[in-house]
Amino acid sequence: MTHMADTPTIRHVALVGNPNCGKTTLFNALTGLRQKVGNYPGVTVEKKEGIMSSNDGPDIIVLDLPGTYSLIASSPDEMVVAEVLLGHIKHTPLPDAVICVVDASNLERNLYLVSQIIDHGLPTIVALNMIDLAEASGVTIDIRKLSDALGVPVIPTVAKKNKGTDALRRALHKGLTPSSRTMLWRVPDAVHKELDELSGLLSARHRFSPAAAHHEALMLLSSPKPLDTGHANIDPEIRAHVLQDYQKLDFLGVDRFSVFIEARYRWVKEVCASAVSPSLRTGASTSDKVDAVLTHKVWGVVIFFALMSFMFQMIFSWAELPMNLIGSGFASLSAAVGSALPPGDFHDLMINGVISGVGAVVTFLPQILLLFFFLSLLEDSGYMARAAYVMDRIMSSVGLHGKSFIPMLSSFACAIPGIMATRTIENPKDRLVTILVSPLMSCSARLPVYALMIAAFIPPLSVFGVFSLPGIVLIALFATGMLAALAMAWTFKKTLLKGISLPFLMELPPYKMPSLKSTGIHMWERGFIFLKKAGTIILGISIMLWFLATYPKADHGSSSDKLAYSFVGRAGKFIEPAIVPLGFDWKIGIGLLSSLLQREVFVSTMGTIYNIEDGNTGSMRQAMQRDVNPVTGRPAFTALTAVCIMVYYVLAMQCLSTLVVVRRETNSWKWPMFQFAYMSVLAYVVTFAVYRVGLMLGY
Amino acid sequence: MRTLMKNLTDVPQGTRVRVRHLQSIPELCSRLRELGFCEDAVVRCVVNGSRQLICEVCNTRIGMHHSIARTILVTPYE
Repeated sequence: MTHMADTPTIRHVALVGNPNCGKTTLFNALTGLRQKVGNYPGVTVEKKEGIMSSNDGPDIIVLDLPGTYSLIASSPDEMVVAEVLLGHIKHTPLPDAVICVVDASNLERNLYLVSQIIDHGLPTIVALNMIDLAEASGVTIDIRKLSDALGVPVIPTVAKKNKGTDALRRALHKGLTPSSRTMLWRVPDAVHKELDELSGLLSARHRFSPAAAHHEALMLLSSPKPLDTGHANIDPEIRAHVLQDYQKLDFLGVDRFSVFIEARYRWVKEVCASAVSPSLRTGASTSDKVDAVLTHKVWGVVIFFALMSFMFQMIFSWAELPMNLIGSGFASLSAAVGSALPPGDFHDLMINGVISGVGAVVTFLPQILLLFFFLSLLEDSGYMARAAYVMDRIMSSVGLHGKSFIPMLSSFACAIPGIMATRTIENPKDRLVTILVSPLMSCSARLPVYALMIAAFIPPLSVFGVFSLPGIVLIALFATGMLAALAMAWTFKKTLLKGISLPFLMELPPYKMPSLKSTGIHMWERGFIFLKKAGTIILGISIMLWFLATYPKADHGSSSDKLAYSFVGRAGKFIEPAIVPLGFDWKIGIGLLSSLLQREVFVSTMGTIYNIEDGNTGSMRQAMQRDVNPVTGRPAFTALTAVCIMVYYVLAMQCLSTLVVVRRETNSWKWPMFQFAYMSVLAYVVTFAVYRVGLMLGY
Repeated sequence: MRTLMKNLTDVPQGTRVRVRHLQSIPELCSRLRELGFCEDAVVRCVVNGSRQLICEVCNTRIGMHHSIARTILVTPYE
């Protein structure tokens, strides 16, 4: 291996692999928390980079590319992988080497991509990941033979347990060379000749590197997309040549769509035959039995809804104790600060603005952490894809397919990752419909609003001795969001975005025991984002709101009169005529206005308003329960008002960040504006209907 | 050979078959092949429901709607 001394130093490495091969786990193991997330210029594909440190050499920048089955791209994500490996993306240097992550228990399918990467001519190393699972399933892999067959080093790894990562680091620092065994797959001579000719022409015309010319020639010859799509800048001479090639291949009876794929798979089979001893186990496996139940047409649906119900019940009940502790902590802080500061505006700002505003939101941290804990378990265990499979029946009834369900389920946590997850949906119209309806799924930012209203106005009654009424109300709110999303998807598919959906086709990852470490990291990341938002945006809004709720100061009158005299009081009064039909008064109006950009601000607004108005006596919840409408003499908040507020928040689009992401994903302001408008109208109309029906029923 | 072929939808649970032909639009055929459903590939039917099925190819489970499974023509695995 003395030649390695002459190999160039590796500074940039790209991590490439199939979906579900453990690529991101390996990325996390190699880079730790030294990561940076951004976007590739001009496209909406996420760019994730990290720095890998080692005692063996200088830091290496690792680029985690999107999971792909093939470099012959059929989605924006896959296109980015191919372009990065050709060095065609601005501000992203051509990687010095590629770590090709393969799932050891699924070698045949994974080696298909490896063969494409090796053909690119970049120095490559194969990380044979999840080797423990492969061995446990009875698969034996001869690493040396596999390495010889591929012409690149192969390192067995178990990224989840950090095994093999040091060997990978050492191999990268030692230096790598391109595989000497490229283009080992064989197509008929006539096809090979056409491929070589076209590569040569592309090299001459576009000055492509040999790897780029070869890739482009393969794309042109085998891509199922018509020549006019995806190859906009194609040279007329090359275009004519490609059309001639199509005719020749047709004449020879060669299926150009399959000939290259099958040739690669033949080669992969030869490699596997020499290096892999497959499992001899036969009969139904445990996974078969679990799949038979979890994806059953009746039991699968029952289990899905039971799991969802359990999740929301637990979010409410398990979070109670830590929420009370946080609430008590803020109350003590408020008392301590209150006694330390002399009376005056600064005292009020700290107590009524900062502590009550931020504290009102931070109290809900336990519920948000629990929501992410459950969603992370569903994802890591492999159940999320089964849920999509089960829900395909329901999704197809509204014109979408099960794949759209994963972004919608992710939107329970936050609509932003949900909307970004729509990138895997191939059909552009289906993708747009999913983007438009995903924010109707109740996200974690709505949870504080629901929790405040439920705790204050829904009695903690037991139902059937098993369920609690607050838990059932919470489930009903999440179900309302989901039903609204399905109804709107059906409406859009029947009107604005008519079209035929591709049927369901999706890989179902193997069942795995979720890693508590990665679940913990995920919860920490989300919790940190939530606290950061509370400490920055919500703190800023709380201070601003305190100012607007305190000034101008009325010289006399009750605290309610003083609030009405303030800037926010006037704004609330101004919009009151529009919201009275929904059962809302001007104080709720202030909450609606202040939370236009972020839903959870409603809670901090109520915290500020009721602390100011109530003169610091008792909790915000009690202050809201005591509040009386001076005009009607009735309580300002009733159970019906609380339900109406919750229904409004289920349906209204009150999140600027989501609108910005929708703008980025759709490349236009038209769709986010439409989304904001339709959700606002829907929220208004449905809340109005609920209020009217509630009044008729005597609530 | 053609007369012995049947759709993947007709394969009972737990049975292994061999892919013989894909008859769909080129985009779908390419995606299926990249997922491992090449001509001659061995497929095992894990769950066959009324509208969808789960099968295993190249040691990976794929869930698909029957309308896609109908485009995959198979023969018994021997």
